[in-house]
Amino acid sequence: MVDRNRVTRRVFGAGVLATGLVGGAASGFAQGTPRRGGTLVATWGGGEPQACYVPAGGGSSPTFSSSKLFERLGNRAMDGQFQGELAESWKPAADFKSYIIKIRKGVKFHDGKDMTVDDVVYSISEIWKKYSAASALTDFTGVEAPDADTVVMTFSKPVPEFFFSSLLCGSVNYIVPKHVYAGSDPVTNPANNAPIATGPWKFKEWVRGSHFEYVKNENYWRKDMPYMDRLIIRYVRDPAGRAAAMEAGDIHIGVFNPVAPPDIKRLTATGKFVATPKGYEESVWSTTLECSMRNPVFAKREVRQAMFHAIDRNFLAKTIYYGYARPGTSPIYSPNKEFYTTDTFSTAFDPKKAAALLDAAGYPKKADGKRFAINLLAAGWFTENGKIGAYVKQALEDVGVAVNLSVPDRPTSIKRIYTDYDFDMAISNQANPSEPVPSTTQYFTTDGIKKGVPFRNANGYSNPEVDALVEKIKVETDPAKRKALVFQFQKIITTEAPLLPILELESITVASTRVQNHSNDPNYLAASWYDIWLAS
Amino acid sequence: MQRLEFIGRFARNRGALIGAVLILVVALMALLAPLFFPVDPLRIVGQPELWPGEDPDFPLGTDSLGRDMLSMIVHGARATLLIGLFASAVATLIGVSVGATAGYFGGWIDEIAMRAAELFQTIPNLIFVLTIVVILGSTLANIVIAIGIVSWTPIARMTRAEFLALRDREFVQACRAMGMGDFRIIAGEILPNALPPVIVLSSLVVAGAILFESAVSFLGLGDPNVASWGRLVGDGRQLIRSSWYICAIPGVAIMITVLCLNLIGDGLNDALNPKLRDR
Amino acid sequence: MAGELASPAAPPRIARGSSRRAAALRLLRRRLIQAVPLMLGVVVINFVLIQLAPGSFLELMTAENQVSDPATIELLRKTYGLDDPVWLQLVKYIWALMQFDFGFSYRQNRPVIDAISDHLPATLLLMISSITLALAVGVSAGVVASVKVRTFWDSLVSVAAMFFFAAPGFWLGIMLIVLFSVKLGWLPVGGMMTIGDRSGAAGGVLDILHHLILPTLALGLFYAAIYTRVMRSSMLEVAQLDFVRTARAKGLSRNQVTISHVLRNALLPVVTILGVQMGTVLAGSVVIESVFSWPGVGSLLFDSVSSRNYPVVLGIMVLGSLVVIAANIAVDLVYMWLDPRIEIR
Repeated sequence: MVDRNRVTRRVFGAGVLATGLVGGAASGFAQGTPRRGGTLVATWGGGEPQACYVPAGGGSSPTFSSSKLFERLGNRAMDGQFQGELAESWKPAADFKSYIIKIRKGVKFHDGKDMTVDDVVYSISEIWKKYSAASALTDFTGVEAPDADTVVMTFSKPVPEFFFSSLLCGSVNYIVPKHVYAGSDPVTNPANNAPIATGPWKFKEWVRGSHFEYVKNENYWRKDMPYMDRLIIRYVRDPAGRAAAMEAGDIHIGVFNPVAPPDIKRLTATGKFVATPKGYEESVWSTTLECSMRNPVFAKREVRQAMFHAIDRNFLAKTIYYGYARPGTSPIYSPNKEFYTTDTFSTAFDPKKAAALLDAAGYPKKADGKRFAINLLAAGWFTENGKIGAYVKQALEDVGVAVNLSVPDRPTSIKRIYTDYDFDMAISNQANPSEPVPSTTQYFTTDGIKKGVPFRNANGYSNPEVDALVEKIKVETDPAKRKALVFQFQKIITTEAPLLPILELESITVASTRVQNHSNDPNYLAASWYDIWLAS
Repeated sequence: MQRLEFIGRFARNRGALIGAVLILVVALMALLAPLFFPVDPLRIVGQPELWPGEDPDFPLGTDSLGRDMLSMIVHGARATLLIGLFASAVATLIGVSVGATAGYFGGWIDEIAMRAAELFQTIPNLIFVLTIVVILGSTLANIVIAIGIVSWTPIARMTRAEFLALRDREFVQACRAMGMGDFRIIAGEILPNALPPVIVLSSLVVAGAILFESAVSFLGLGDPNVASWGRLVGDGRQLIRSSWYICAIPGVAIMITVLCLNLIGDGLNDALNPKLRDR
Repeated sequence: MAGELASPAAPPRIARGSSRRAAALRLLRRRLIQAVPLMLGVVVINFVLIQLAPGSFLELMTAENQVSDPATIELLRKTYGLDDPVWLQLVKYIWALMQFDFGFSYRQNRPVIDAISDHLPATLLLMISSITLALAVGVSAGVVASVKVRTFWDSLVSVAAMFFFAAPGFWLGIMLIVLFSVKLGWLPVGGMMTIGDRSGAAGGVLDILHHLILPTLALGLFYAAIYTRVMRSSMLEVAQLDFVRTARAKGLSRNQVTISHVLRNALLPVVTILGVQMGTVLAGSVVIESVFSWPGVGSLLFDSVSSRNYPVVLGIMVLGSLVVIAANIAVDLVYMWLDPRIEIR
């Protein structure tokens, strides 16, 4: 049985993980013989998606709903190993400028048609290149199928194997049916609301405002899978409602913070639920604070460092996230086994140092006690950001910086931060996989400055040294050398401080103790859940 | 003499008197807020989620971040009353101008004005306010204007009715005969006579505006730099299981203020229409 | 409040049955004709308002889809008709509306009317149950207060009405949740149906009713307070009128008089207010829906506003206004039926 009394402290944890949070290593793994049949009801900590599948990703909600239907070429296991899914294997050529992918045979789409190399070629060239992985495929030159079970991707520069494997496992880099999508605009294709794919679950119905109903794919290529007959993805608008539905036994599992922190404790205390932070290692969320380089005040890096020294990240983690967060220390997050380092420049809480830095940088307190005034924008897509904004305003005012706070809603925040660059400092969020290129690096490189494209370099930071370093990271095929380069990158960025994660957020899955084989994928929200089952 | 009688009639309505006194207290609180609580009410000053009475420093407890509830309530009175008054002023300004023009000139001007009033009554008011605020941005000015835009129609109708009744009276005709201009007759002669019932209605619009603002803030569309009561209720919403007082206290404040304004409106109404008093 | 009351006193002029029907038809026709410019105004105002918005849904869509290529953006602008001048877009929209086409929601990839009709029944259910509650409570409390005028019961009713008239609906809703859901555990905290409930149709109806209680109270009690006050004063006023005195003089008992003469006439102002307030009830349900996660038009409006899905926002405004106009026409007809003496302008 699950050991409910053991409190897991993750290696990086600051010791703030609340008691009552359970889910040891055993929680996700099968006990006894899987029971077949039945219906599993799942939910997540957000709302209904705009479409069941959005080719460009479209956020966590469509990723959650589409990932049960679609599959990728590869998959990353909890232990970090890459494994084939719709591909059986892949390997680089000697010069790392092309990769040979062996495609799995005997895979059928939900409409009965065979999945072939044509579908793979179409997906890579039309969907990945144009929508889901456009920013990662900058050096991509082409894809072709020399025979019926091989696909070759070619690049203009050497591509590291870790980068390539991560690409194949990218959360929405799916293999889509060419016969459904060819000749249409993939963004508006009606099949996005009733997808046809290869995964363990088949789309049956979308009752808007309520749920998706998926049924078992009888022709699934993994023999005798999935165990269950039906998977319902239920949308409940508020956390309290989700907690009530879980308590009543109507929802079995909720991923990505389905209930409010106090309810996590209440639910796990009943012994009928487990809560686990596992399953988010490849999609770690952070709260970031950035300084716009367009404001001359932030030209000196000491001023930027001072902003971070003024903020007590432990307070934020403890009070606003009830301990379900930890201070961020690097642009690469601590669960990242490959690339995270503690050897970074520290901008820990030290208001005196912040004041001294500002004094030295030529911004002494004026007669009114203020040094300068800034506009702080907290992106309103998470309510916590507004609270963080209120705290940051106060913390900066304590060191003599006047702050005007605004907390616009999601579209206005996206527009003001990433299109209009209308902020001096901004609080936003990122969710990054282990591979730093391009997800992490595009927040810092000059080519990441793309007006109108969200979640890129919005502060205008441009440093030839960083650009050159990232170019090296991109093409370095020796894993050890690459790691050293990424360490160097972290050192520079934490010193320069144009944008830093102030918090790494702890995402939580809450599940009934009846649910077996869950939280067993490093991006569990986007896993296909083919092996989940419900004990009686 | 007449004024004394009016005050006497108003004071005879016990509810109205209580309302007026309480509103005075709230207004005083709003005015003196910076004296009692010189620190920014949005500052984090203590442990989060302290229940009222748990710590004598925070008689009404602290919110989820550790901000002083009492300080936020007192400073909130300021924001809430100001928004209510300004929104009511905007509504009265629009309503009186439209109503006076319509009632005085009549004819097609009246027709157009009343169609416009009907139009604004047709659009579901709060939905309109929310859309305006979302589209034009969550600033205090926008919220005030949006509430004014949806609240002016009853004032316009009332003003129009008064003007219709007054425009053919002798004193008005006398003014016309003297060759007085339309604007002077409207503003200088008829308006002062038509104003009392309009003022009653305006006080009710203040109450309505406070409710509107609290709903807007509750839904998270208020100005984040202002500690309005509605926003406090909204902030506390996630914590109803552990700390429901965070929702309850500011709600009581809204209710008392609105209640008092309504009582005052009733009292004014009774005082102005003595024949209805005994209903 | 009392100032808004229309005086129901009018000289008795009894119309015969056939001419009443004709009058009703005349009224209906006139109201429908008047509704046309009104609707046009609603559409124009809201259309212009939405044009004032700084960001378009296209910007959000390209942002979400990581599209930064100017050619693609231009193509999308064309596809969605955004490259027309604003006045032409407006004309096209009105033309489409005349054929009951509320436009297309590109975000959801479906017609606006489909998106709205998914959510409309929940909102209508909440509105109808709240108005029913408000009428039932308001009318009976008003009658009790007026019959027992200046007694303890009258004061009790008045004080309760004052409180519910001043309490913000969303706050009342939260307090009801704290009491009945969190503390007592009697009623659900939100939603419209128990998730995964399979107890059949009858059970389903009961389940919905169970979920309906708290939102109905939160939305309805405010209106109950209004109707109570209006009903009370209008009962007292009607009771003073000549024909009631005559009826009394003819020897009818007090209860008979109250029910057959006073009540019927005293209802008129309540009906008037009901009609005027239909838009307010609809708008109020938006907030209450958000408190109780009620899957109605309010939640759709929120999602649409926060995704800049303007065709849906506009559709909700237009449809909401239509509901108000229809309700007003219905009220006029009810008014005629209640008081045959009055010909409505």
